[in-house]
Amino acid sequence: MIFIPVGLIFIPILSGVIIYLFKHRYVNYLSIVAQLLVTILVIVYYVTFKESYSDTYIVFGLWDERIGISLYNDALSLSFVMLSVFIWWMVLLYTLQTKEEDYNFLFFLLFLEGVFLGLLQSNDLFNMFVFLELTTLLVTILIAFTKTGESFRAALYYLLLNTSGVLAFLLGIILIYNSFGTINVQIVGSMMSSVYDGQILIKFAFVLMLAGISVKTALFPVFTWLPRAHGVAHSAISALLSGLIVKGGIYMFLRITTMYEGASFAYHDFFFVIGGLTALIGVVFALSQKDIKQVLAYHTVSQVGIIMMGISNINQEIAYGGLLHVFNHAFFKSLLFLGAGIIVAQYGTKKIHDLRGVFKTMPFVSVFMIVGMLSITGAPFFNGFISKSVIKYGIEGNIRYWILYAVNIGTATSFLKLSQIFFGQKKQVGEKQIIVHYVPLMTLSFVCIIFGLMYIPISDGFFGIDLTYVKILKLSSFVDYGVTLLIGYMIYVFVVKKDYIFIKRLRMFNLSFDKANYLFIIYIVVMTLYFIS
Amino acid sequence: MVSSVIKHGFLILLLLFLFGVFYFTMEELDIMYDTFAKRYYLLNGLEDTASMNLVTGIYLDYRLFDSIFEAGILLIAVSGIIWISKHDIEEHNVHFMLDKFKTPDLFVMFARVVYPLMLVFGFYIIVNGHLSPGGGFQGGAIVATAILILYYIDPNKDTSTSFILSIEKIVFIIIVVFAMLSIFTKGTMFTNPFTSSDAGVQTIYLVLMNVLIGVKVALGLWAIFTAFLREGR
Amino acid sequence: MNPLLTFLVVLIGLYGLSTSKNIIKSVFCVTITEAGVILLFLNLGNLEGGSIPIFAEGLVNIVDPLPQALMITTIVIGSTVTALALMLCIKIFHHYGSVEWDVVLRDGGEE
Repeated sequence: MIFIPVGLIFIPILSGVIIYLFKHRYVNYLSIVAQLLVTILVIVYYVTFKESYSDTYIVFGLWDERIGISLYNDALSLSFVMLSVFIWWMVLLYTLQTKEEDYNFLFFLLFLEGVFLGLLQSNDLFNMFVFLELTTLLVTILIAFTKTGESFRAALYYLLLNTSGVLAFLLGIILIYNSFGTINVQIVGSMMSSVYDGQILIKFAFVLMLAGISVKTALFPVFTWLPRAHGVAHSAISALLSGLIVKGGIYMFLRITTMYEGASFAYHDFFFVIGGLTALIGVVFALSQKDIKQVLAYHTVSQVGIIMMGISNINQEIAYGGLLHVFNHAFFKSLLFLGAGIIVAQYGTKKIHDLRGVFKTMPFVSVFMIVGMLSITGAPFFNGFISKSVIKYGIEGNIRYWILYAVNIGTATSFLKLSQIFFGQKKQVGEKQIIVHYVPLMTLSFVCIIFGLMYIPISDGFFGIDLTYVKILKLSSFVDYGVTLLIGYMIYVFVVKKDYIFIKRLRMFNLSFDKANYLFIIYIVVMTLYFIS
Repeated sequence: MVSSVIKHGFLILLLLFLFGVFYFTMEELDIMYDTFAKRYYLLNGLEDTASMNLVTGIYLDYRLFDSIFEAGILLIAVSGIIWISKHDIEEHNVHFMLDKFKTPDLFVMFARVVYPLMLVFGFYIIVNGHLSPGGGFQGGAIVATAILILYYIDPNKDTSTSFILSIEKIVFIIIVVFAMLSIFTKGTMFTNPFTSSDAGVQTIYLVLMNVLIGVKVALGLWAIFTAFLREGR
Repeated sequence: MNPLLTFLVVLIGLYGLSTSKNIIKSVFCVTITEAGVILLFLNLGNLEGGSIPIFAEGLVNIVDPLPQALMITTIVIGSTVTALALMLCIKIFHHYGSVEWDVVLRDGGEE
């Protein structure tokens, strides 16, 4: 059993290194072979997991588990692993070209896959820190890969801000190690209820770790790196970052809060508010943007906010809605980014008002893009609807419900604005598209629809949670969606289209690096005040 | 001006608050301080890992999995830096930026004396990592510094980065495979593959692993250095 | 050395990070913060005192060896981050002709 978790980490890494060594165009296909191997391993792993229903827990070197490094896999991490492998397939197929120079890109991409799969399975706090820092470095390199001035500054901004966040995480680990004598997540979690007795020390460690994770997740005050980075990177990398790497932060959040379960902190309300703020701010910024990739990037911020609103719910079944949204968002956001990538490559511009007549020029891509847009706005029959309904279900008739509603309206407005690119006359565009680019788009749209229709067996099969109370064929859900679209359209016509001066201000808003750090410190202090008092 | 004073003052207040919180945590840590791990290492460290130096024992045996990624982080950073620094033309010559100015003769002369000593010292640190303070990472850094001094002595020294990078990658693969060998002898990965109870046999692993890591670190730092040298031109 | 003093180093690094307008300064402030964290961890391992963690005759008390092993990793990570950040600085300087955050980020919002 030890082979599979270790293989998941090292097969991509070693094949990446071998590709780098040979620098040959045929050796580049090794990436596909490695990916196939990983897929087979994951499927085998899932089948055995289903049969035994037991979590895997591996301690390397057979040392005392408080001393050695261990890997731990349960249903949560396994589902994240499957999602990662799936998204990597899409990115690999999208970037598949037979150029010799690709070896560099493939090396970083495959290394990132191994490291990310390691992060998902790791059960050791310091090991998590190493993986987090490795992800930061690899993502920095991938952002800077296009080697333009914009990508360099975005990469540096990302690197420095995330490194300071990860250092806060390390400070938390130090406090945990010295008070528990171990950094094994499972052991610390089981000791928590007996050790915790209102100590400031343990609370402060919690605050520092979650502050560090918040930077990686791009929560409200410290999200400024995300639009910058996702806007300039190669489209496939943007899809990977938005779809998956940001979710690494969500996963860490779940792991750390599970570790602190014994202490029974009341962290739910705080992170609900932070999630709501993140969602609102993200939508407001998205409305002001004119660059198609920036719009999508700001929507990642707002959707991460919605996910936070979902998972920081005390009711486990509602929290599951947030988890489901992690998956759904991964599918439709990668779809949108990849589709936008094709459109941008054909038109040679990222400005929305220059992109016109896409539907007539590129009908296939447009259909896929429309599927993604319907999903993100939460239309019935698409996957975004399901998870948003679950989240809504738990907070109905509450002030919280209206926050979510406002975010939904904003999302609808923003995508109505984005859908303007489909109208207009046909335009003569550059070279013909390679057909293999359409495969990931097609798969992703298919998955979006499948998750929107077959949600009951899927959620039952993966997490054993019954979702039969979510009904698609209910009149109210259609009316709801229609009203949302209508209000969104009115806002679009009467506010956004006019391009008032404050919208321009928002668009030009530019948070300098020192101010971002200032906000980070304020965030830590606010969290400390909230949790310690 | 006033706003700047308010901004800095508020920042200092925030940091002082964090300091206060940290003061209380340290007071509590005196009571809670857990020395389980320390006692464990003192009792079992030598027996488990056969390393006199407990730090080496930890990073080559108890936490070998971390060390592999520690080597990996250097690997990707080097490749990333080379990729970012690369101009469109493939260059093989590395000219030291100081060749435009003149390196002082006294420095060159002393560098000639110090260079072999540093190399030997670096190797000593690497090979003796399990007995005395040191190990692959530290010794590798010293060896890399010695190579750096070489560029001061001979500003026109040629280096092919791609060759260094290839060797470095191969060493990384060897490290990973070597770390996994214990699956055949002990049924678990990332530990010492030798099952013999004789400490002498077990130290073979420690020395070999330290040498591999040392070579890897030295090559990685060397490649980073050459990338910066090119930019300095 | 007192752990509180080393935490002060961390705070100095944070202060520098949130006030410096220069990219190079920001990079070094990250390094300072990192150094503070490393010193703090090593200090906490030495809270009870003890000899160096190398076996010898009649050894009773040692300083905690785990922080030292972990901090080697952190130092390597820190040095790679610094190297990568400095290389990006050089490239940014080539593109923008400046290493001030305000100048470099100025045309960030697109028009």
